[in-house]
Amino acid sequence: MRIKRSEFVKGRTAVVPPAVAVGALNNRFAWAQAADFENDVDVLNYALTLEYLEAEFYRQGNSAGLLSGKEKQYLDKVQVDEESHVATIRETIMALGGSPVAAPGVDFGDAFSSRENYLTTSHTFENVGVSAYLGAAGFIQDKMILAAAAGIFGVEARHAAIVGNLLGLEPEGGVYMGVTETGLTPTEVLDAVSPFLTGPGGMKDDAAVTL
Amino acid sequence: MNQVPDHQLFDGKPVVEFRSEHDRRSFLRNALLVGVGATYVASVAGDPRSFLRSSTASAVGSRTGPATSDLDILNYALTLEYLEAGFYERGLAAGLLSGRELALVTPIRDHEVAHVQAVSDTIKALGGTPVEKPKLTFPKATFKNKDEFLALASVFEELGVKAYHGQVPLIESGDILAAAASIAGVESRHAAILADLTGGDPFPRPIEATLPMKAVLKAAMPFIKS
Repeated sequence: MRIKRSEFVKGRTAVVPPAVAVGALNNRFAWAQAADFENDVDVLNYALTLEYLEAEFYRQGNSAGLLSGKEKQYLDKVQVDEESHVATIRETIMALGGSPVAAPGVDFGDAFSSRENYLTTSHTFENVGVSAYLGAAGFIQDKMILAAAAGIFGVEARHAAIVGNLLGLEPEGGVYMGVTETGLTPTEVLDAVSPFLTGPGGMKDDAAVTL
Repeated sequence: MNQVPDHQLFDGKPVVEFRSEHDRRSFLRNALLVGVGATYVASVAGDPRSFLRSSTASAVGSRTGPATSDLDILNYALTLEYLEAGFYERGLAAGLLSGRELALVTPIRDHEVAHVQAVSDTIKALGGTPVEKPKLTFPKATFKNKDEFLALASVFEELGVKAYHGQVPLIESGDILAAAASIAGVESRHAAILADLTGGDPFPRPIEATLPMKAVLKAAMPFIKS
């Protein structure tokens, strides 16, 4: 079953079972062929999908008992941030008269098999999140929504830097990603996160996510 | 507009520490005088003080001029980037850091230097005149002690993040906004790392805070000699 992305992001999936909505999200062609975001609710639902993914990732990861001390404290806080982003974006969408998309089905594979896998996957998610916000910012019409999105974007950048540092990565290219941040298109973002999404027509495989 | 106490900009963490009550009063008096001189200094193109003073004057609210232009915002950003770049150049030259700390802070200096260049080029491309590099002054202890250096670095990074985010809704041009955002994200990374290095909180809130130009300039002014 296919749902046009334009319908998906317009919030019409409120009447569609979540698994089907995820199928739409997972359909590479539906995204690739989609026109640019039509309105701010579209952009916010895109951001919401990523935030759902991150929040669930940290909920599961922090429950796995892989971390301790400062690392645990930091990642617990990251989870709280992502949950806050989900709530904030959902509220904003509803305030605009839109319908928040449902949370996608997820499968993080062996991301929680070790501390290093967990932090490495986190590092990928955070950097994808940073680039996703930057890539979508130009579509936001309302300046106050833009300011809020920018404020979330900055916090994702903080997460990315700290997790990169916990991993002991090279400062340039691991903690910092250059002199300026780089945006990603929705299609590029989907390519990065699709291995973790499940559902009809899903693209889950064991391919490593690289950026 | 946010009501920010003059010396307590971040969660009880002083941005501007005055050595005495006299210093604090002098600073506040000076901040007001700076506004009075706006008409004169605005004619001195290229003088970094002219930007600071005219901006302060409008922020003080003594006039209701036109909205802040993108060029004004860019020169404001440039002033802050000059402050950061100069700060890290001196701090790293002092040889206080080693190991992972040195590895983490060296790229920050390089980023700030690159931001100065990028913002200057943007201002020129728009037909504007970039403010000149300001003469900077820092408390004597800053570059004699690693902890002092990193503590002030953390203050500057958090200030920079709030400054950029405070301007997001005010920037008119989409292109300039994208450029500013792409720099702001890097400042957020710096802020998080410096918080970590100094025992602070790298994630102080779920959404970056903002500060209006007036409050940021008040915090930055003590470090800008001319």
